[in-house]
Amino acid sequence: MDDLLADFVAETREMLQAIEGEIVAWEADPADRERLDAIFRFVHTVKGNCGFFDFPRLEKLSHAAESALSEVRAGQRKASSGLVSGVLAVIDRIGDMVEAIDAGEPLPEGGDELLVAALEPNGEEPDSEALRSEGETGQRTARAASGTRSIRLPVELLDRMMVGVSDMVLARNELARRLREQGADPALEAPFERLSSILDSVREGATRMRMQRLEHLFGTLPRMVRDLSAELGKQVMIDLDGGDVELDREMIESVRDPLTHILRNAIDHGIEPPSERIAAGKREIGTITVSARRTGNRIVVAVSDDGRGIALDRLREKAVAAGILGQAEAAALGEEATLDLIFAPGFSTADAVSQVSGRGVGMDVVRANIERIGGSVTVSSKAGQGTIVYLYVPLTLSIVEGLTVRVGEHTLGLPRSYIVEIARSVSRAISVDRLGDGIFLTFRDQRVPCLDLAEVLDLDAPVDLERATFVFLRLVSGDLFALAVDRVLDNEDFVLKPLPPALEEIGLFGGTALLDDGQPILKLDVPALAERHGLAGPGRVRAKVEEPAQAPIQAQAQHIVVFEGFDGRRLGLRMQPIRHIHTVPVSAIERTGSAMLANVDGAILPLTGIDAVPQERETIIALRLSDGEAELLHAARAIVDTVELGEDVVPLDGDDALEGSVLVEGRIVGLVDTHRLFARHGRRAVTTRRPTCRIPAGDAWATGFLAPLLQGAGYDVLGDGDPRPADVAVVLDESAPGAAAGRILRLRSRPEPSNDAPDSIYRYDRDGLLSALAGTHAKGA
Amino acid sequence: MDDLLLLTRIAGRPAAFRAVDVRSIIELGTITPVPRAPDFVAGITALRSRALTVIDARRILGARGGRDSADDRSPVVDIAGHSYALLVDKVADVVAGVGALSPVGPTLGPRWSACAQGMIETAAGPAIVMDVPALITGPQKAAA
Repeated sequence: MDDLLADFVAETREMLQAIEGEIVAWEADPADRERLDAIFRFVHTVKGNCGFFDFPRLEKLSHAAESALSEVRAGQRKASSGLVSGVLAVIDRIGDMVEAIDAGEPLPEGGDELLVAALEPNGEEPDSEALRSEGETGQRTARAASGTRSIRLPVELLDRMMVGVSDMVLARNELARRLREQGADPALEAPFERLSSILDSVREGATRMRMQRLEHLFGTLPRMVRDLSAELGKQVMIDLDGGDVELDREMIESVRDPLTHILRNAIDHGIEPPSERIAAGKREIGTITVSARRTGNRIVVAVSDDGRGIALDRLREKAVAAGILGQAEAAALGEEATLDLIFAPGFSTADAVSQVSGRGVGMDVVRANIERIGGSVTVSSKAGQGTIVYLYVPLTLSIVEGLTVRVGEHTLGLPRSYIVEIARSVSRAISVDRLGDGIFLTFRDQRVPCLDLAEVLDLDAPVDLERATFVFLRLVSGDLFALAVDRVLDNEDFVLKPLPPALEEIGLFGGTALLDDGQPILKLDVPALAERHGLAGPGRVRAKVEEPAQAPIQAQAQHIVVFEGFDGRRLGLRMQPIRHIHTVPVSAIERTGSAMLANVDGAILPLTGIDAVPQERETIIALRLSDGEAELLHAARAIVDTVELGEDVVPLDGDDALEGSVLVEGRIVGLVDTHRLFARHGRRAVTTRRPTCRIPAGDAWATGFLAPLLQGAGYDVLGDGDPRPADVAVVLDESAPGAAAGRILRLRSRPEPSNDAPDSIYRYDRDGLLSALAGTHAKGA
Repeated sequence: MDDLLLLTRIAGRPAAFRAVDVRSIIELGTITPVPRAPDFVAGITALRSRALTVIDARRILGARGGRDSADDRSPVVDIAGHSYALLVDKVADVVAGVGALSPVGPTLGPRWSACAQGMIETAAGPAIVMDVPALITGPQKAAA
């Protein structure tokens, strides 16, 4: 709300300044219609805004002036000098009050009635002197530097600055690269680092300048929901969450229409009439929740309602009736694919076309609008329980998350928002068929048309389909197709620049961007490309193929931990080498030369995945990895999730620190190459081989009581089936020792010493046991 | 005409650009070719932190074969918010124009006359003054 208020103050102040001249001119010539209109507009706007902010006094004043002026405009009243001074006094008073609001002070006391009375048609007309002095006593003192000051700037100016800052960042990256290549002089390194961090903060500031809280958008929603639900005879409550999330101003504007449309749908189709809700055992009043949160470089806006949900069967019937699908195809459609139908062009689920929605402008337009700004829309629904629509939008317009691909000698960018899957032709999950001149892929039970990017680009040699990588792209219309490329290189954030006309006319590219290494590349215009090849037709349906007779043998599922790295990327680490996840205070992190070290639990370990001690936070998350011999830590900004690793790890050529990339919930995640990590840093790792101790694994006491004690004492506990040599073996009572061990430790069940085994230790003699172990360890070392 | 002129050679002939039209002169680095681009677009190249479109002025004006000089310098012009680097045979000199611009006759040939503003005398001899916007979009206009 504070932001809105600041805007109100800024706007009112600006208008006041603008009409200052008008006021003077109007005073000189009260018959001047143009001036009169300008002043009328001012009080009218102020009145409207006051109602919104609940400033009853301001509202009363502006209302009085407005009605007086409208009477003058309608010719019912003459602009007498009394009326003119009355209006001017009101405007002065508005100015005072706005200043007071801005400074957070109480509004100047009293005198309103006098002003209002002066504007009454038959009111006594106090002489203007009295009114003037009234205005002046209203503390029209300068409150110059009080409170937060704000200025309004043309967006164009901000854009120019943003472009400048983006360019600076690119120039910095290039400089950094050259410095690296030439082996940077330490004398240069420090000032460069400083420059670099200053630039980062300038960039952050510049980005924030364009940011606005979602509140600005949310503020208008309750009113809209109220009006709509009244119109449709429904009772709906709206719950807003995440108004403090910031988004690019222009992005907010781009989200406004789609969000409005989704809300309309929710009220019109989702929320049931009160009687129906009661019958279904729900609260009479429906609830719509709009929540926003930021994840990485994107904002997710979720609109959920507790209405009737989307009936999948009806959706299928509709699709068949609309000729989008055949009967058989509809029946075979999975849940997700069926829900996806609501994004099909010209599809409306409403039975009756109401005044509010269902006028042919459907979810396809919503999806198109969101994808145009590099976002995406998904929907999930449970019949009888409600529907959730998710809008994913990037933080800014000019930076597009993407993937670089290589075909022939060309490197091209693909925007992330279209990519649904990446697979290599060597993967067994994919089969390639040439039919006519076309290429078709069968993948996950779908037959997907495929374009050879080399052919699309008219290159000399086609892509070798035997070794190709296929990038699956989903268009706004829902059409799926694949592009065959030679290699997938890397994830990049593209700072897009528009194309000159000569290149735009080619109709394949959507902009240029510079890669981190300074190489310019072109971004492919995916929809244009699809259209050119006839792949984006309304009503085109994905053909379903039969389930293969035998399912491939499932390898044991591997899991990865997905986390956000300090370079801002989303990364994954295989579960196997992860020993522990530590929260490490930054005070325990040290930079030594070019390497980072951290102290966890008394051990000093190399810390990878981070270049500098972070200044902006107090702790970091560190994943402790071990290959059995060496240990090291990998820094993470935040842990995202643990997921099952699919079979399709796509190798990346651009970044050798990564094993490849995988898709996790629609996002590209770089898989950290642990082998290389240990090859690179393992040598520096402190060897931490723990002493081992063998226990009789079959014995319940040994595994239940002894093993934890041994582990606590720093031993790796081995069962007797384990072939590894043990530093010490524990033997209970009279049983024979198992496999070879450095030393045998005999425990007895009874407290009194045994004659048969004089060196045995009573099994609950903790101190004796530990000192015996320590002795063993010392001897072994 | 008192303007300063940047004197170049394109397709073996003297060609002049008004100094005010030229934003800078750069050393051309690697040119990344653009698939399916018209043949007068040599590709894109990076200038500092932005991508420039490289226009092969030689080809537009009918030169055949490779460049005959090893001059990597290229004038950069701004048209309608986009920056272009022009491929020329060589960048020769900056000279002052002498006298007024005189119209060119039909004998210049269609390619040259499509992107010529006129003829000018300079201390280094006569030269054609190039119409930069026409040069950038020239071949298409001619085709249309």
